[in-house]
Amino acid sequence: MPDRALEGIRVVEFTDETGAYCGRLLADLGAEVIKVEPPGGGRLRRARPFVKGHEGDPNASLAFWVHNTSKKSVVLDLETPEGRELARKLALSADIVLEDNPVGHLAARGLGYEQLRPGKPSLVYTSITGFGQDGPHASWAYSDIVGQAMGGIMTLAGEPADPPNMIYGRQADISASIQAAQGTLMALLHAEATGEGQLVDVSAQEALSMAQETAMQTWDFQKRNRVRTGELGMLPIPLPATGVAKCTDGYVSLYILAPAGKDLPALVDWMREKGMQGPLDDEPYCSIVNQLNMAWLTQLMSNPDAAGEILQHLPVITKTILDFFASMSAREAYEEGQRRQLLIGIVSTPKDIAENTQLRARDWFVRIESPLGGAVEFPGPPYRLSETPAVIGRPPRLGEHTESILAALV
Amino acid sequence: MSRKPLEGLRVADFSWYGAGPIAGNTLSQFGAEVIRVESETKPDGLRRVHPFAMNPDGTFKTGYNVSGYFNNFNTGKLSIQLNLNVPRGQEIAYRLIEKCDIFLTNFTPRVIDKWNLRYEQISARNPRIIAAYAPMQGLSGPHRDFLGFGAVLTPVTGISHMSGFPHRPPIGVGTNYPDYVINPGHTITAILAALRYRNRTGKGQMIELPQLESVVNALGTAVLEYLVNGDNPSRTGNRSLNYSPHGAFRCADDPESVGSVDRWVVIACRDDREWAAAAAALGHPEAAADPKFATFEARKANEDELEALIGSWVRDRKAEDVAAALQAAGVPAGVVQNAQDLLDRDPHMKARGYYQYVEHPEAGREAHDGPAFRLSATPGSVPGPAPLLGEHTMDVCERIIGLSMDEVADLLAEGVLV
Repeated sequence: MPDRALEGIRVVEFTDETGAYCGRLLADLGAEVIKVEPPGGGRLRRARPFVKGHEGDPNASLAFWVHNTSKKSVVLDLETPEGRELARKLALSADIVLEDNPVGHLAARGLGYEQLRPGKPSLVYTSITGFGQDGPHASWAYSDIVGQAMGGIMTLAGEPADPPNMIYGRQADISASIQAAQGTLMALLHAEATGEGQLVDVSAQEALSMAQETAMQTWDFQKRNRVRTGELGMLPIPLPATGVAKCTDGYVSLYILAPAGKDLPALVDWMREKGMQGPLDDEPYCSIVNQLNMAWLTQLMSNPDAAGEILQHLPVITKTILDFFASMSAREAYEEGQRRQLLIGIVSTPKDIAENTQLRARDWFVRIESPLGGAVEFPGPPYRLSETPAVIGRPPRLGEHTESILAALV
Repeated sequence: MSRKPLEGLRVADFSWYGAGPIAGNTLSQFGAEVIRVESETKPDGLRRVHPFAMNPDGTFKTGYNVSGYFNNFNTGKLSIQLNLNVPRGQEIAYRLIEKCDIFLTNFTPRVIDKWNLRYEQISARNPRIIAAYAPMQGLSGPHRDFLGFGAVLTPVTGISHMSGFPHRPPIGVGTNYPDYVINPGHTITAILAALRYRNRTGKGQMIELPQLESVVNALGTAVLEYLVNGDNPSRTGNRSLNYSPHGAFRCADDPESVGSVDRWVVIACRDDREWAAAAAALGHPEAAADPKFATFEARKANEDELEALIGSWVRDRKAEDVAAALQAAGVPAGVVQNAQDLLDRDPHMKARGYYQYVEHPEAGREAHDGPAFRLSATPGSVPGPAPLLGEHTMDVCERIIGLSMDEVADLLAEGVLV
């Protein structure tokens, strides 16, 4: 076993959907993370998707697994005085308490920060909620999509004709957890240096605000709202070699006019090698292909009329390029395009990611024990630390550690 | 005033665009002294793009110092200009790194090699350095030189395939999404863990954060579904595997919402009780008892009809009123807010004081994202405006690196500090 960055740190968590990923980050970095679960488990234990053939089994939810690696599980019923007393003792044995309950829920059970602090002044207590611990919406009910909506990212995603799009993967919860991990570790460093603990307050709405990209500053400076523009993105008009292109077995995203990588002529070189340049070597297309680059685009952005004459010829160029990509697999378009320094991204399906050349070559996936027995392959950690690597351990079975942890409590 | 938790730490911020500088910004907000190393010969692209601050006459301000995009991610940093393409510039970089605790970069491995900033090179000069590298795909491997930025990562990591409506192609999510929280947040998490290890052992280390790996790690269950079950799931719009109804519903237009009058409310009912409460709060308690909608399985089986029904209930109502009525009934709901809402109209954001305003010498008064986590005893804050390009070149050379005025003059004359 390598050295662990969070060696000797005990975390007791009362988390479910929103805060579990924060606990996972700390657990994979070496903290002892004890998850206190209600009898039967929380929402994630019951969440689809399950391991096939094990639907409904609280130890078989992939949604639970993915955010609860390397933890221990203790079942306590906080609705009974005995359960609360044990939870309190357990919390006071910890360096960090992590929770994502509605504001006031744990305090009503004797487990709030103010109640625990006198028993352990160095305690770091991290609360992760939809809207934070104070303010007029502090008591609002929260689920991931509410954070995405109120935090300002949904309004930017999707086609204008559709409802605003949610981003996959419970990104408000994830973002809140990632912000919380940073705050918790800063507070831990402070506590270890001074003996002073504190409350870390994370709001999922605020956690996502930065992900509005430039929308906030655009309103601040220019009193304009950025809106969802779908496939067009930031472009004033559709342009060749930008946006989604269909391949034989999937899609790629093209950014060939963006300020990185080679410009359109390099793409046409590739097309010519395959005999698929169509009319692009002929005028007027040849001149336009040489002209369509970032400098031209910048000019176009400030003055859409500048496209002028060119405009009528763009559909032929676009179609020729799309026909080219339609003739090959997404993986070939991505890997060969990037080899030619063309800015192309494969639209990966989960299977594509599992088979991704780079991830496999770098040995990113790990094998861990399955909570159901046997071994499973698992996505790897977000970072590689040379001295203290993150190590992904098996998610706990419900209540697996109740006896051993409680027996060690004095 | 309380001490900030990272006071006394110094950061050499050799990063640009989004993911790297935002990590530096977080360190700066919590008290670290962060030195952005830049060059006018190849300035950070964010210094050159919208949104620009405006003049009183309605024209845009110009130059490298007036982009809100750049300024928001670089608060309170110092900026030194340094030409890393020449050996003397690289020597100054080493001397700066010797005075720092943390080194941060998101340049490509090719550029890191060219500038001689590999870990074994900088740790030879400062073994205690915590060096964080955040390239697109990693420092090694067959795709290490693949080009990209946040918007390219969105398709490559699976976000595009898994997000949006199934009848649409995978168009992405409208922004360079992974740049803003996932990648800088993971970077800081790793740096803080490494700081704790250094506090205990005296040892620095290298952190590699391949942005591809960082984002896929945070992609929910999709990849695990393939690895464990052999399924290859795809996007399902705003619907959920576990909750129904779950989506965005159009409400009455709001003419005061500038350039964005369509208004939407999101609703998530996590169980039958919340669904019954939602139906009652929206004036249709009978719908909850309808066998087509009474159970989760029934609602999933009739989800098109369910969504059309809820849509008809809210279409002529104000989104804020719908959200408030649902919240009063304990149902997770909220308005799809835009930036105007977040900055000016959301009473909660205002009461919490999330956005902080500072005066910038060229851009004027600017709103900034405040700290995204609140520490009760040692809170962060926006420490000041972003630096002008090269504003602190002299200060950093003399005060921090320890060069004499004559040496600085020579370096200026030789074109090293540009």
